[in-house]
Amino acid sequence: MPLTLQDKVTHLLRRAGFAARPEEIEAGVARGLAATAEQLINFDRVPDNLGVLPTVPKGHDEHDGAEYLSMSEEDFRYVEGHFIEDINLFWLNAMITTTRPLQEKMVLFWHHLFATSFDGVYDVRQMYLQNENFRGNFNPITGQIVRPHASNPFPVGNYRQMLEYLSQDPAMLFWLDNWENHKHTPEVGSNENYARELLELFSLGVFDPVTGEPNYTERDVRQASRALTGWSVHMPGENNPDNFPRRFFFNSSRDVHDYGPYQVLGVTFSGDGRRLFDVIVQYKRPGQPQSACGRYLGYRLFKFFGYDNPEPEVINDLADVFDGVHGGERYSIRQMLRRIFTPGNPSSEAFYSEKAFRAQIKSPTEYLVSAYRLLNPGAMRLILQNADRDDLPIVYRLPETMRKMGQQLFRPPNVGGWKDGPNWINTTLHLSRINLAAQIADARWPQQGGIDVRQILLDNGLFQGSNFTRAPKEPYVDYFTRLLLQSSVAPELRQALVQYLNTPANGLGGDVERKKVQGLIFLILTMPAFHLH
Amino acid sequence: MGKTTRRDFLKTSGCTVLTVGLSQHAFFRRTQQASASALTAAAALSTTNNVLVVVQLDGGNDGLNTVIPASGRLHSLYRDARPQLSVPEAEILPLGADAANHRIGLHPAMAPLKALYDRPEKPVAVIQGVGYPNPNRSHFRSQDIWHTANPERIEKTGWLGDYLDVAYPSVDNPFLAVSVGGELPLMLRSQNRVIPGIDNLDEYQIYAGDDADAANKVQTFLALNRVGAPEQTLYEHIRRTALELYESTQAVQRSAQNYTPDPTIVYPDNNPLAGALRQVAQIIAANLGTRIFYVAMGGFDTHTAQSYDHASLLATLSGAIDPFYRDMVRLGQANRVLLMTWSEFGRKVRQNADIGTDHGAAAPQLIVGGAVKGGIYGVHPNLTDLYDEDDMKHSIDFRSVYTTILEQWFGVSARDILGGRFEPVRFL
Repeated sequence: MPLTLQDKVTHLLRRAGFAARPEEIEAGVARGLAATAEQLINFDRVPDNLGVLPTVPKGHDEHDGAEYLSMSEEDFRYVEGHFIEDINLFWLNAMITTTRPLQEKMVLFWHHLFATSFDGVYDVRQMYLQNENFRGNFNPITGQIVRPHASNPFPVGNYRQMLEYLSQDPAMLFWLDNWENHKHTPEVGSNENYARELLELFSLGVFDPVTGEPNYTERDVRQASRALTGWSVHMPGENNPDNFPRRFFFNSSRDVHDYGPYQVLGVTFSGDGRRLFDVIVQYKRPGQPQSACGRYLGYRLFKFFGYDNPEPEVINDLADVFDGVHGGERYSIRQMLRRIFTPGNPSSEAFYSEKAFRAQIKSPTEYLVSAYRLLNPGAMRLILQNADRDDLPIVYRLPETMRKMGQQLFRPPNVGGWKDGPNWINTTLHLSRINLAAQIADARWPQQGGIDVRQILLDNGLFQGSNFTRAPKEPYVDYFTRLLLQSSVAPELRQALVQYLNTPANGLGGDVERKKVQGLIFLILTMPAFHLH
Repeated sequence: MGKTTRRDFLKTSGCTVLTVGLSQHAFFRRTQQASASALTAAAALSTTNNVLVVVQLDGGNDGLNTVIPASGRLHSLYRDARPQLSVPEAEILPLGADAANHRIGLHPAMAPLKALYDRPEKPVAVIQGVGYPNPNRSHFRSQDIWHTANPERIEKTGWLGDYLDVAYPSVDNPFLAVSVGGELPLMLRSQNRVIPGIDNLDEYQIYAGDDADAANKVQTFLALNRVGAPEQTLYEHIRRTALELYESTQAVQRSAQNYTPDPTIVYPDNNPLAGALRQVAQIIAANLGTRIFYVAMGGFDTHTAQSYDHASLLATLSGAIDPFYRDMVRLGQANRVLLMTWSEFGRKVRQNADIGTDHGAAAPQLIVGGAVKGGIYGVHPNLTDLYDEDDMKHSIDFRSVYTTILEQWFGVSARDILGGRFEPVRFL
């Protein structure tokens, strides 16, 4: 059965963002699918509500309230652990509260595609700079965060420019060693780590997703490595005001940068290395109508927003958009997203198909963010404003819970990113999701990041107080399944939830209604349907 | 391959029914077959029932101060290179002579391990001078080399993960390998399965609140997950995992009952490795079908004032192995449990200016188990013939040790997993 308009709007809001709230679905249906998609895509027309990075929390002596980014490296070592937690909370809060859901979704996409871990950077603060880089707020030349930075192509701009910004990102330069890639021999740079991943993971794929053929050779890797020699970082020190390595530095010395000529993907060029990115985005294998990079990105974008193993027609359709065959801007990620989300073409037909609908397992990030966005959008903001973390035990534990669910932000398992899809769920990871659901549902006090159950019931005319035991339970079940799952549930499931609310429990004491509804929320958050979107 | 499991099905189907063109009926039949409890699934291609416990010494253990030249010219060279870090001859715990007739012994902090070494069944093998060609002194790169058994090329799966893929392609037991401590090491990363990390067995249970309603919630949770949706692959994956999860938490919690501590076998409280190995013992006692356990212990990157720290690390290591081995004997499991230590490299021969040691190359490995032919294997590295002037040369490739484990312990061919043929070390 084809999806209804309401289904399509809900699907779009869940995938292009993190959750579909009832009022958003209603507005989307009234506005129509294409207009809703356009509003999501043109997120930069909506005012940015991004929070600020917290400062060092209380209890750290002379560092109390200090700005993380301006501390000396030596002082920073004392508060590094807090910083890692705080950038997690900063970003989770951004995803939960953002007025620009597709922007934050794309930051998550880039973090997954350009997977960088704080385990391999020089200074963990570089991870925060990278996060802002992916949002379009970082200038690698000055090392400064500027919101927005006019020429930064992230998160949905020109992919050729993105590759250049990525190659100048301080965290990436350390993570894949390019900062120490210098001229070595006429055949190779001194460190090919970045060049290899640039071709293998960031632009072409080890195998073409349509033909299954390799797109590049070992020689291409080595030659690309030569082109990238001297792409490095300003190290702090004399005559350099930086407190940690945060600015791109092109070392133009002929001893360090290899000016070529080199030959990559059949093109011979020389110079400062920037030509490499043109070569990569333009490369077509002989006999193939689409660019290899366009296919790879089409594949990765559709896999992220739609479903695994997209059909070759979908991949090629998106690659055509990347290549500009319809006359639009070339290498534009925004145009590719528009293709996926705007009805009336092969890619969006796949995206709005039954095959895609509710057929993707939420990542741990999406699981957590969707629960908060639907139940308690303000939870995380509290901790970011409150210096005393001990008052907010639930929120404070979230980074650790994320680790146990298998997705520690800023710490992917390796440069290949997280193993997603069905791998998000095994017994241990699933257990951690259940225990997160319990944490969220049990948190009693709204001021501690908990759910204000009573207020939700009052706002929706459901509050029964002392009449709870005798009241019909179906309205509770119907309201919360619609809120959390954006649909009603099968009769057996509905009946099981009603029965739970009707089952007396000894020792619950007063306020049975609140406790039972908290139990109901816990149960819905653990249902298979809530893990899907 | 007899059984088709859920994981197998997901793998071959690419997770969508449409991509493989399976009819709904066929899908339903296959998932019916898959519904047999994961915990009772038989081992498919593996021919043994043996267990490997991997203990990682993270940071680069100083092998020269672990297994020490105890006399003669090697000892005097050792003393000269380490005026403040060397252990006096009289304090070294003697193990005997190696094949080249070097007398060697253990650091004095390792008395419990020395006592194991001296047991009549000789359960401890000391493999000397283990390493690989062109040693890499980066912690990460060198660890990756040990994890993946490939010094030449960066790989995304580990040698034990590859072993699991080869030997258990259709076994869906979620506990086939367990990383105790939560992180998934590269060594266990496989193409086809996600290995659980269990931080703490006590926490491996569904938490549904602490009031009288908790049991109602768990019952409702199970009821909700008993309603199938056979045409929805991912829904079924989640639903079945939820039911397996409930079973496995029950199994783990029952394991607390299977495992009764013996008052004479003490896992010291202040020894985190002992705490982890105690959890390994509990899981072994619970008989969950686990074949590989992974435990890591950090702190071996001893660049400054090494003496005290290193002694304490070695005391922790041997103080944890000792109760674990005795516990295995008590549980009747010692002959099917093999423990192997590894570290990414040893340290330089000469102490540095901070009375510590810097990143080096070859180092010893310890193998412990009832099936081990205890003793000294290989020869102690020469302290005058060095790599880059200050690093001991290896005489045994680490992949030879892996070969022994794969072929003689797990009963599979090592060549494909290790990408070449390596002469086994005959410690089994």
